Amino acid sequence: MRRTRIYPARGHTGGRRVIGLVVLGLLASACVTVSSGSTQPSGGDDDDADAGAPQRGGTLTYALEAETTNGWCLPEGQLAISGIQVARTIYDTLTVPTGDGGFVPFLAEAVTPNDDYTRWDIRLRSGVEFHDGSPLTAEVVKNNLDAYRGQYPGRSSLLLAFVFGDVATTEVVDPLTVRVTTTRPWSSFPAFLFSSGRVGIMAQAQLDDAEGCARNLIGTGPFRLDEWRVNDHLTAVRNEDYWRTDAAGQPLPYLDAVEFRPMPEQQQRVNALKSGLLDGFHISSNTGALTIDEMRALDEAEQVNLAESDDFAEVGLLMLNTTQPPFDNPLAREAVALAAERELALEILAKGIGTLANGPFAPGSVGYLEDSGYRSSDPARARELVEQYEAETGLPFEFQITSDPTPELLQQVQLSKEFFEDAGMKVTITTLEQSALIQKAIEKGYQAITFRNYPALDPDTNYVWWYDAARNPVNFMGFSDPEVSALLDQGRTTADPAERARIYEELNRELAREHYMLWTSWTIWAVPLDDRVHGVVGARPPDGSPDYTGLALGHDMAHMWKER
Amino acid sequence: MTLTRELGKRFLGLILVLFLVTLFTALLLSMVPGDPVDTLLPLSDSSPEVVAQKEALREELNLDEPLPARYAAWLGDFVRGDFGNYYRTSGADPVGDRLAEALPVSLQLMVYAQVLALLIAVPLGVLSAYRAGTLFDKAANTTAFALLAVPNFVLGLGLAYYVGVVAGWLPPSGYVPFTDNPAEHIQRMILPAVTLAAAQIAVYMRLLRSDMVQTLQEDFIQMARSKGISDQRVLWRHALRPSSLTLLTVAGHNVGTLIGGAVIVEVLFSIPGLGTAIAQAIFERQYVALQTFVAVLAILYVLVNFAVDVLYTVVDPRIRHARARN
Amino acid sequence: MPVGSVMAPPAAAGHAAQPLDEIDPSPTRRLGIIGWFSLTWLGGISLLALLAPALPLKDPDRSYLEIVRTGPLQPGHILGGDGNGRDMLARVVFGARTSLTIAVVAVLAGLVVGGLLGLVAGYYRGRFDAVLTTLFNVLLSIPALVLALSLVAVFASADQDVSNGRKMSVIIAALAIVTVPILGRITRASALSWSEREFVKAAQVLGASHRRIMFREVLPNVAPAMMSIALLGIAVAIVAEGSLALLGVGVTEVPSWGNMIALGRSDLARNGWAVGIPSTAIFLTVLALNYLGDVVRARFDVREGVL
Repeated sequence: MRRTRIYPARGHTGGRRVIGLVVLGLLASACVTVSSGSTQPSGGDDDDADAGAPQRGGTLTYALEAETTNGWCLPEGQLAISGIQVARTIYDTLTVPTGDGGFVPFLAEAVTPNDDYTRWDIRLRSGVEFHDGSPLTAEVVKNNLDAYRGQYPGRSSLLLAFVFGDVATTEVVDPLTVRVTTTRPWSSFPAFLFSSGRVGIMAQAQLDDAEGCARNLIGTGPFRLDEWRVNDHLTAVRNEDYWRTDAAGQPLPYLDAVEFRPMPEQQQRVNALKSGLLDGFHISSNTGALTIDEMRALDEAEQVNLAESDDFAEVGLLMLNTTQPPFDNPLAREAVALAAERELALEILAKGIGTLANGPFAPGSVGYLEDSGYRSSDPARARELVEQYEAETGLPFEFQITSDPTPELLQQVQLSKEFFEDAGMKVTITTLEQSALIQKAIEKGYQAITFRNYPALDPDTNYVWWYDAARNPVNFMGFSDPEVSALLDQGRTTADPAERARIYEELNRELAREHYMLWTSWTIWAVPLDDRVHGVVGARPPDGSPDYTGLALGHDMAHMWKER
Repeated sequence: MTLTRELGKRFLGLILVLFLVTLFTALLLSMVPGDPVDTLLPLSDSSPEVVAQKEALREELNLDEPLPARYAAWLGDFVRGDFGNYYRTSGADPVGDRLAEALPVSLQLMVYAQVLALLIAVPLGVLSAYRAGTLFDKAANTTAFALLAVPNFVLGLGLAYYVGVVAGWLPPSGYVPFTDNPAEHIQRMILPAVTLAAAQIAVYMRLLRSDMVQTLQEDFIQMARSKGISDQRVLWRHALRPSSLTLLTVAGHNVGTLIGGAVIVEVLFSIPGLGTAIAQAIFERQYVALQTFVAVLAILYVLVNFAVDVLYTVVDPRIRHARARN
Repeated sequence: MPVGSVMAPPAAAGHAAQPLDEIDPSPTRRLGIIGWFSLTWLGGISLLALLAPALPLKDPDRSYLEIVRTGPLQPGHILGGDGNGRDMLARVVFGARTSLTIAVVAVLAGLVVGGLLGLVAGYYRGRFDAVLTTLFNVLLSIPALVLALSLVAVFASADQDVSNGRKMSVIIAALAIVTVPILGRITRASALSWSEREFVKAAQVLGASHRRIMFREVLPNVAPAMMSIALLGIAVAIVAEGSLALLGVGVTEVPSWGNMIALGRSDLARNGWAVGIPSTAIFLTVLALNYLGDVVRARFDVREGVL
């Protein structure tokens, strides 16, 4: 009988991934960033090792790149990285990813499938309490899962419902065990119990709070909500009864409180850290390569403690809306791909920091190929294709790129525009705030949008993003590709690792052929901290599995601590 | 008698302006191209729930009603403090809550800026009028003139970076409530307040100077001087007083400028005031919230100016009589 | 006149002080060094903006790897490059084209509409005047930047297809709407007082048509007041364009001084020139406009009472 580890460890880092769902995303990236391979090592942080034993107490002030104005009624939420970081601090998920690409139980004690992966028994930890004192029971967890799949009265799950579409039933077996059955074999189901950190378990009271669900957060996580003032701060204080302990058996978390501050202006985050107003913030190479570069120098100078990682990387991309001209035409999609001079863009915008992507799957993850067949940077060929497109369709090659108004992104988009116009296309730019951008993507009210997404978890988690748009509202590109759908179906129902690898590699090639998405770079995520703050990475999951070293989905805050 | 009539007239004017201003902002939403409901509820699928949701919103905003009815309904809600809701994917997020949090923050910022501007401008203006033509006067005047030409966003970016980060003298962003930590509150407000105050300093100073240069020529000043009253006393007691009313009026009118400036300054310094809320409402296409914020600011501005006007009318008999004659 | 803050109410404008050298009591003031400098700068920058496409400038939208985030005095790029490696000289000149077009067209529109309305109201008075004055007061009671921001947000960013031309038009229209009441009120006040003068009365007695009197007798006398406010208005509009850009609702397709600053702000620590150069352009232009506005006012004895 299999117990907690769901996937066997793989020989190298980076393995499977999960994703999430829902909405997502963040935005960001740009069309053009890309890379050349000068990435720095990832993961750990030597400063932490020298710092000695963790000390208790203190408030951590941490800047987020955006406010989550929709709040945290998780089944209905639209969490991007900033929202996920907060959610992971207040809530626990049933499983968590590990450093070897698998998923292990977290708030669950065990997650056990039957032989053909159509039935999952989720056994919960006993004695865990929510922040309101109510106990964690199978009933609450079942209700949460039902809410996520759109089957709980009073809660409407628009997007996650599709993610959990293969769940057939949920049932309370005993006070601490929930049984989930699925309509077909689903070997990667545990990855979905994490879903990029978006499916935390909420207390019954929050689940049933019709009006205040998004604001009155009640979880089991290391910190409980103290106060949320929109646009200013969200403070969470230590959960004195938290169920986790550190390696030495001491209670977690170490900090007294965490104060999140939304700061959309990147320069403001940097300024605030430098002037001591912040203990840390997060930033990705997609828009912040130059800042990461600066932080590396400060890290060297021991003024900053920088944690960075390109493990389990997400990818920057330009999404193309395939439901309308010009990108309903494969010629047009190939033309934009070839027109983008990615190496040059990476050099200009990011001093070469980052790694040019050739597909959604980063090196080390399932489905990654050294050569996926994805091509870019052939302006001459792009010009030919543009002419061919215009001749064949009689339409001008025109489109609009929709971008977040932050200066970093606008610069990227403007550079892309330059490349595209060199190839003979006519390009306009419009700006829209992050959350509105996501809505545009869902409605297909765009032609090209800059995004970052697909953090490398289990590749099956991309099902929701790419499955037949006719049945899937979150296929932002709007394509209905039978081959992609067939491969996604096969991947979901296949358990054999070798066979899965083959399936997702084929998927990778198909995506490269079709150019629904233009890949820019796999992102580095970095968390620059005050030199005396530690513990972003390195904490092991409860079962002692290797720690998950990616930062694209936020990070655990229970192990963070400050030198006094 | 005339005073009462004058005030009555002004009050009627006030009501009229308030009516028109709120009418304008209440109809802002109707000006959004396309169906406002689609903009407010950006859900494209046509499932029954979504359609029902949209209908409910249409109902709530009275979008099917004729304009007068819509305005009446909006005004009724507005007066009762019901400002509608942000569009959110779950739960209620009343615009009124945000207003209650953000407005005091913006008011603080504006009051600080105004006070700061006056504290700096009044002595400088008085002194340069007194020393008209001297090097000091010229230097002060030139500085003021230059200050007028620096856009507030340039000043804000510069102060945050060079004073806040490079020099490290003051925190470059963020807000701390006074009740949490008064010292920290003041420190955080200095750079934004200075940014907002800079242009006002120049305006007030130049205004006061030119006003006082004239006053100082007047007979009653000359007489006071000839009586041997000290220059100090003449300057501050006799000469400043008539000019202070003018200053007050201009300061009142300048509230509109301050509000506009606060939008920029709050965004630049991460201050969770109404400016930030407005910018966010615009980016998120939250027009219901935008309407409310614009209406509140306009009303605020109208009331401040009304108060200043009334004060002016009551305090300065010359104005009163001049107006009565007209 | 509070520039830098956006749109001063007319009262403030009216009271704003004299030019620097006002100590000079002679009524026929000459321009002085600053005045000549102002004229030269404005003339020069306008000419550059006008002729930009014909000048031997680099393409302002073209990136050059070798000048990415560099300061001035690079070979071939005298003002260096921005964050994308675009030639700063070309951008600041083409930016002038955008910024000045927006500001000048907006204020001209405000001048024509507001001026005409104000002139008619000030001359005829009566009900039309009352209605118009109230309308102006309404528009003036919404903080100008907030009004402009709302108008741009409502008309230029709700729908998907917002072309550059449309965005510029909306921004211009929004700034013009903000300008109309300011110019209208000043023109009205000035026309009001001039219409009482003997020569106007005389013309009326002699049977000249009202239109003729308005345009031949009143307007020329009102013009200096309008001019001085219009000059200040252009300065304010240039800054307003920058504010809109900074708030993310400005023009994005072509360089403008405002969007150069908005883009460059993320590079402030790495390359302050990206912000410094367009800021300097705004500073000098606003300074020159303010100064000339003051000169016009002093020269034509535009009295505060009128404003």
